Amino acid sequence: MTAVDFLNLLIAAVLLAGIYAVMSVGMTVIYGVMKIVNLAHAGFMMLGAYFAYEFFERFHIDPLIGAALALPAFFLFGMAVHWLLIRWLPKSDQPTLSSLLLMFAFWLVLQNIGYLFWGNMDRSIFTPRTLTVLTLGPISISLLRLIVFFAAVLCVCALQLALSRSWYGRAMRALIQNPYAAQITGVDDERIARITFGLGTAFAGFAGALLAMLYSFSPDFGRPFLIRAFVIIVLGGLESVSGVAFGALVLALVETFSILYVPAGYQPAISFGLLVVVLLVFPKGIGGLLERKWRPA
Amino acid sequence: MQSSFSYRNYFPSFLIAAFLSISLVIFLPSCNRGGQNAGNAITVGVVLPITGREGKPGQYQKEGIELAIKQINDAGGIMVKDKNKKLPVKEVFYDDGSDQAKSASLVERAMSSDNATAVLGGYSTALGEAESVMADRYQTPWITTGAAASTIFSHGYQYTFGTLSPTTLLGSTTADFLGSLVDQGKLKKGLKLALALENTDHGIDYGNGIKQWIQQHPGYFTVVFSENFELGSPDFSGLLQKVKAAKADIFLADAHLQDYITMQRQYLQSGMYHQMLSYGARGPESDARKALGDGTDYIFAGIWWSKKLPYPQVKKFVQDYTQFTGHDPDSWYPATAYDAVRALAQAIEAAGTTNKTAIRDALRNVELKDSLLPGGTMKFGSNGQVANAFVIVQNKPEDKVDIVYPKDAATGEAIAPTPRKK
Repeated sequence: MTAVDFLNLLIAAVLLAGIYAVMSVGMTVIYGVMKIVNLAHAGFMMLGAYFAYEFFERFHIDPLIGAALALPAFFLFGMAVHWLLIRWLPKSDQPTLSSLLLMFAFWLVLQNIGYLFWGNMDRSIFTPRTLTVLTLGPISISLLRLIVFFAAVLCVCALQLALSRSWYGRAMRALIQNPYAAQITGVDDERIARITFGLGTAFAGFAGALLAMLYSFSPDFGRPFLIRAFVIIVLGGLESVSGVAFGALVLALVETFSILYVPAGYQPAISFGLLVVVLLVFPKGIGGLLERKWRPA
Repeated sequence: MQSSFSYRNYFPSFLIAAFLSISLVIFLPSCNRGGQNAGNAITVGVVLPITGREGKPGQYQKEGIELAIKQINDAGGIMVKDKNKKLPVKEVFYDDGSDQAKSASLVERAMSSDNATAVLGGYSTALGEAESVMADRYQTPWITTGAAASTIFSHGYQYTFGTLSPTTLLGSTTADFLGSLVDQGKLKKGLKLALALENTDHGIDYGNGIKQWIQQHPGYFTVVFSENFELGSPDFSGLLQKVKAAKADIFLADAHLQDYITMQRQYLQSGMYHQMLSYGARGPESDARKALGDGTDYIFAGIWWSKKLPYPQVKKFVQDYTQFTGHDPDSWYPATAYDAVRALAQAIEAAGTTNKTAIRDALRNVELKDSLLPGGTMKFGSNGQVANAFVIVQNKPEDKVDIVYPKDAATGEAIAPTPRKK
């Protein structure tokens, strides 16, 4: 492999990591605060894709603006879903079967609502940007992937900043670290959970809208991404936004570069093999391992 | 004494149960049960995906089947000699949601509890393979309208039939077409091929067809890269990088519709170019052309049928189908399904009974002389699969599609090599 090939692959992997990070971060914050494995995440992503599509088709609104609009819209939608369904779930500091079943059922409902409204046709968003390629000498980069990457990075950084600087972020982190102690100090866990679910849903919708620019989609959209999101959040240590970014980068690098040495058909086996290894060797994720290593004595 | 009942304690489980029930009701395959075969109608089971990743081709196949059934019923039904009357065809439809396990169990249901005289369906190789095991178990004729992999027809099943020619033939026809371009001087001899094949029997058969042709025609092409890829992968950049590194002149992939769109988008975004480019049986689909605009121009595909075939029956079918559905046939999907129903009707009429084994025997001898498929005649081979030729179509600018091979069916010249994008 030449240096140019290597660089092209590295760029492809980093851009892919951006996509992976934005689609996983919503799932992580929801798991962190509420210990809910949000299987409906793929459904929210699918709705996000259609959200951008409808704005684009009906009002000719740029899908990037559509993706930005998806953030507040899905935030409110997520809060409504929380108020309607999630708040009735029994509270636990471990994932429960009832939450898993509820979210799975909700995903199926969303999927079927998708079929009801949009049918089974594959839709896609085609803009002049879709096939634009930036060429820097022998290196070519898809403009759209670059835009999606920067949008994803911007959002993940904004979330990280909000979590570390705002009162809400501190309350949320407190709930992740020790829910009982957080409640004693006056953190309203119900309110924080509602906001968190809204935030997680907003990120899922945003990710779906961004992905709609890159892929064709149908109401079944999101399934392969959901499985990868699992791998990423486990790699990242389940509860940390920076861990998600790290997990996304690891998965994207492994998936992209492993293909050079093993047939592409074994790509899923590599990803899930990585998941098994991490679960067995570093149950708190690679992020947790590094955190332990770098923690001051 | 105050009751210890708390609404909050009970509500979650109630809510979850309610949700599961609702979702089950919605998720259960939309079915159109025809009830038992009471003797006043011929029940035909149809199991196809109209939701899930194969939903769109499945929908088109369903439309082809329903058009044929409507035409048969409008003409009074199928003459059954031992009942001395014409019986209408009653369709029992199940949506398998593109799920293999569900697909097999729904075929089982159609064959057992619905007592269907025959079952049609099985779009895509994976779903067709799952369904194929049921036919001999229930001794009910099963005709796949959308699965072509040789594995389905190599088990020696006695009740299995298929209206798609083998995928190996697709591979060899593709290579034959490229060979004809070499003979015409449009391409040079000794060009290098890169193959990217989906990780299914379909992909394997396609690759084998190409490799067999190359072995039989030495000097035309050499394969410098051949690899399988994951069906439904969200990213093909690593695979495409390997293809790029192979420095091939021609890139032949075998992919389903969604993978074709994703891979071709990434192919274009990474600035790749090959003298000829194909995604197997995918190419002219309107979804792909809408998703990629002129990015699909000059892609060629080997397909089982084209609406441009110069036969009067094809023209009539296109007219009837458009009237029936309100849209043009998109690629080959409805035609093979339509012919499957007509072949079944002809077999029932020839058998003169609704006895399933007699119908199976009649299907073996059916010869549909006004078939829509290339060649104009359809006949099941000894393994139950038809072997009609493929037509090669090529996308042209402004959403045009031409049949470019074989010569006697061509509606336009093949453009080779593909012009480079400016």
